[in-house]
Amino acid sequence: MDITGVEFIKAIAFLGAGLAMGLGAIGPGIGEGFAAGKACEAIGRRPEEAGLLTRTMLVGQAVSESTGIYSLVVALLLLFVV
Amino acid sequence: MTFETYEWIRAAAFTGAGLSVGLSAIGAAIGEGYTAGKANQAVSYRPNLSGEILRTMLVGQAVAETAGIFGLVIAMMLLFSPAEGHSILTAWAYLGAGLAMGLSAIGSGVGSGLPAGSACEGIGRQPGMANKLNTLMLIGSGVSQSPAIFGFLIALLLLFKPLPDTMALIPAFSLLASGLCMGFGAIGPGIGDGIVAGNAVTGAARNPETLSILTRTMLVGQAVTESTAIYALVVALLLSLNT
Repeated sequence: MDITGVEFIKAIAFLGAGLAMGLGAIGPGIGEGFAAGKACEAIGRRPEEAGLLTRTMLVGQAVSESTGIYSLVVALLLLFVV
Repeated sequence: MTFETYEWIRAAAFTGAGLSVGLSAIGAAIGEGYTAGKANQAVSYRPNLSGEILRTMLVGQAVAETAGIFGLVIAMMLLFSPAEGHSILTAWAYLGAGLAMGLSAIGSGVGSGLPAGSACEGIGRQPGMANKLNTLMLIGSGVSQSPAIFGFLIALLLLFKPLPDTMALIPAFSLLASGLCMGFGAIGPGIGDGIVAGNAVTGAARNPETLSILTRTMLVGQAVTESTAIYALVVALLLSLNT
């Protein structure tokens, strides 16, 4: 089996893409779960603030999501650009 | 020391089988243990409700076990998968399938245990709510299982994918990376979904009239938490196309 340098780099880039998205999804998954979990707990305590709590939950989750989106962007770059 | 192609494939299939059932057992066992711990705690406060709490514990543990059963199924399929006459790329696909299933089941196993534990605790607090809490717990646990189901899908895709005969580095690494991506990517959302559902069940037990609004908030929160698992699924599917 002959492997050219270009092939080698592409193969490693694909491995990197998989690792980037895979490992990058761990943190946001757990973090967004914390945000939504505490929001549910708080609605259980003060149901009249449900709208405000849902809004805060979604903003918090959007920020937690950002590193997941960075991982997705880097994975797509490694897949299609490098 | 050289080996035949089918020997390499067989070695990879056995390694994948071990990874699949071994890693998936981690999550399922932690989740079930958490549930049983919470159930014991609840029984110690309310011994007269032990039957009800025991039933909820067993139902919750059965859902958490599903992730482990997925791992067992993939391991069995890998153990009895054909090797003779297959391309050497099959070895990489089998390794990827084992990793995808094993790693993805860790998160869902732990995650499904959390709402079950909260339900046992909640029944100790509000015995009259037992049926509603069980329903909410089952919805939450079911959604927590979805990352493991994504992993199961990718594992099946890798197991049955028709592969070209020639060995090349790019498809080999793509198959392995596809499994790693889906496997690792499902850990976080699995645990996160479980945290959401667990707190929703606790909230409903504390304040029963919030049940409907909590179900809605829980599902919205879980959907957002799930998004990174879906990114991982998309990237894993894109990677598996590189053969």
